[in-house]
Parts: sequence; structure tokens; C-alpha cells
Amino acid sequence: MIAPRPYALLAEITYRCPLHCPYCSNPVAASLREAARRPQGGGYSNMPALNGELTTDEWKRVIRDAATLGVLQIGFSGGEPLVRRDLAELVRAAREANLYTNLITSGIGFDDDRIGALRDAGLDSVQLSFQSDDADLGDEIAGARAHRRKLDVAAKIRAAGIPLSLNFVIHRRNIDRLPEMIELSEMLGAERVELANVQFYGWAFLNRAALLPTQEQVTGAREIAIEAKARLAGKIDIFYVLPDYYETRPKPCLNGWGQRYLTVNPIGDVLPCPTASSAIPDLRFENVRARALDWIWRESESFNQFRGTRWMPEPCRSCPQKEIDFGGCRCQAALLTGNAANTDPVCTLAPNRARVDAVLRDINSSSDHAPDWTYRVNPKTLKS
Amino acid sequence: MPIEIADAAQPRLAKGVRLQTDSATGKSVLLFPEGIVELNETAQEILSRCDGRTLSDIVHALAEEYDADVAALAADVHETVADLAQRKLIELT
Repeated sequence: MIAPRPYALLAEITYRCPLHCPYCSNPVAASLREAARRPQGGGYSNMPALNGELTTDEWKRVIRDAATLGVLQIGFSGGEPLVRRDLAELVRAAREANLYTNLITSGIGFDDDRIGALRDAGLDSVQLSFQSDDADLGDEIAGARAHRRKLDVAAKIRAAGIPLSLNFVIHRRNIDRLPEMIELSEMLGAERVELANVQFYGWAFLNRAALLPTQEQVTGAREIAIEAKARLAGKIDIFYVLPDYYETRPKPCLNGWGQRYLTVNPIGDVLPCPTASSAIPDLRFENVRARALDWIWRESESFNQFRGTRWMPEPCRSCPQKEIDFGGCRCQAALLTGNAANTDPVCTLAPNRARVDAVLRDINSSSDHAPDWTYRVNPKTLKS
Repeated sequence: MPIEIADAAQPRLAKGVRLQTDSATGKSVLLFPEGIVELNETAQEILSRCDGRTLSDIVHALAEEYDADVAALAADVHETVADLAQRKLIELT
């Protein structure tokens, strides 16, 4: 089928991160090592000498090629993108290619010099993550002393005149503090706040039993988010990302596979979605070191596998919603049913919805005490 | 809920919002955090004049350029500006 043009590139420039959040969507380290050992797939597995992060020049080429393909926005993400000392140089390259540049960061590693350098490079916007409004809880979730440094960083970003968004990942341990988190966003002068219920990929999938909120929590949070959105309209843009296990129809993941977005991960694999490499390990992903970005976007098997609607099984194929939700999320289908080509089991019409219901039953019938989580660890094999 | 905008208001692009040409289509787009809006012709003509001029100046400039009726054009411009302001893509001072 004919490929549309992409609008946005997510540049995951490193998986290294000073925080250890248990909800991280990065691949768990073990699966990365496994991917590197696979004889096929991964796309880089037969190039052990190139098994590190892309270099500055390689990223610059990716950025230019993405702009040529039609990309208008770039998000620098990770891991923690500030870990890479060449970040300002990459931002400059993106601005020279006329891209709108977002930095998605924990804030750790920011100081006045670096904020100034990034502003001078033309950085358009910063999305700063917070784990909670409360320092103790925030530090506990991050597995690091981070909260007070983030407060300081938020003030410095504002002082530098860079637009500030705050990102909160919402889960069982912090969802009851939604009003306080919104209050913190007002206090810090954020222009935009994302209150995103955790989605279960990577480390979050591993830690699902500890992170998934109860029905009661979800109902309360929804009301608070709707109220705050109305109250702060015109002042702060509030985006509330729904907890999809509690929904009856799936999210329109990526606005369709291979339609608008592409991700390049730290080692140069090009992914239709950042979680695809770990969630759908049997799909062969291509690497920018071996193939042109344009070819990967238009021609590769991984981008064409779920593009459009022809791949869809029933009940999606005859569903009037198929151009609205695109059958949901391929990674979720793979993680919950073992087959990425199934209907996202979040949909109540999906044959596998019972698997989601079973998870919800467990969470809502067990005692108040959620199990402990496993903190994210850094993928040591991927240091450049 | 539509908002009323004074003729003396000076619309400007909001902080963090960029107006540029999409080289893939030749059309004007607004870029902002996590978002892209493709502009229709009215919005593009208005936004390219949001340089400190008042709304009434913009209406008159457009009326002159397109030889259009000021009252009809004013309604169009107000509607577009209100929509963009509500989405926080422009600020009014």
C-alpha cells in the first residue's frame, strides 16, 4: 500500500537514565540482551561491532532524512536525553532542518549552562516529568532523589522563557493525589499538563500488578481531571490519558500503524512505535545503519505489516470503528494474546477481552495492599 | 462557548507556537508541543498578520487586499481568532 508522510519522529537517543521508575516503557534490559542475540530480527544482531548508541553524525543524518520524508516535529527522548552531551548539537541540527523540537526529560542533568545552550540551539519546548507532587513519594517512585531538583529545573526553564509542559504518569500509588499534582502544575506555571494513566509496556507491563489502579480510583480520578480541565481552560491545557484497561473501546494507537509517527531507538532501529521492539519480537525491524530511512518508512515489512485496514481480523474488519481506533494497539495485542495481529483485547468486542477482565478482577478483588514493584535498571550493554 | 474579542485586541502567536510552511504540501501549519494544525486560507491570512496589529487593523488590511465587505470579513476573522485563542494557539493582548 502507499505510505502516507510521517509528521513526527521520536528520537530515543539513549536508554540510559538516572531514574529507575517502575513504569518505564523502555524495554526491560533482559529483553534487549535477548534481542541482540537473536539470529534474525533486531536488524543489528549481525553487526556486533555496531551494537552501541548512534553517534552524533548518525543522528544528524537521521534528523535530516526525517525532515525530507515530511516530519515536522521531533521529540528527543530516552531514557534521559540529557545523558548525551551532544543534545544541544542535535537540537540545532533539528532546527536547521526546520523541525519543531521537544525535549522530554526527567530534568536531572539540567543546569543553567545546559538550559542556556539548549535555548540558544533553538529548543522549542520542554516536557518535564514529575512522579508526584510530594517529594518523598516522588523520590520513592523514581528510585532516586529527584523531586526537589525537578522543582528547581522547572523554575529555571520558565526563567529561560522556554514553554514548559509537565508530564505525570498516573498509577495506583499516586492517582489519589491528582488534585495536588494539578495544583503543583499551576504553581510552577506550566502551559500544558499531561496526566497520563500508565500504559502497560516494558517495565510497566512487568510491574502491572503494582501499578494498575482500582476501579474506584479510576472513577474518582476521571471526575477530578474533567473538572480541572474545565476550570483551567485557557490557562493550562490539561490532557488526561485514559487507563485503557478500564475502557470499552481501544485507544487509536499512533493514529494507525505507520501513518504519522516513527521512532528511532538508541541503536538506530526504526520502529513504528517505541514499544514495538520488545512487545513484538518476531517482527523484523530495520536499522538506519543498514537502510535508508525513506525505504524503511515506505517499503519495510515492519512498517507495512499493520498499515491500513487489510491486516485486520474480525471483529475489526467489519467494524464501523475501524478507521477510528484502527483496531487499537498492536503491542498490547501481542503482549496480552501472543499475536500482534489480534484485535486489541481492551475492546469489549475482542475475543480476548476476558484476559483484560481477569486482570481487572484480580486488582479489584485483592486486598488493599499492592505488591512491590521492580525498579528499572539501566541497560549496561548499551553504553556508547 | 464562543468568546468575545475586542476590535482593539492584538492577537499574537502563543508562546511555544510556530507558524511555518509545510514543505510537503506548501500549506501553512502551526506547530506546538505534541501538535500540528494545518491552517485554512482564512486562518493563514490572519496569522501572517498577527505582528502586533489590532484585530480591526487586520480586518481592514484583508478587506482592502481582497476587496471584500468589512462586516462580513470581520465576522469571519473574529470566529477564526476566537477558535485559535480558545485552543491557546494565539494570545490576545
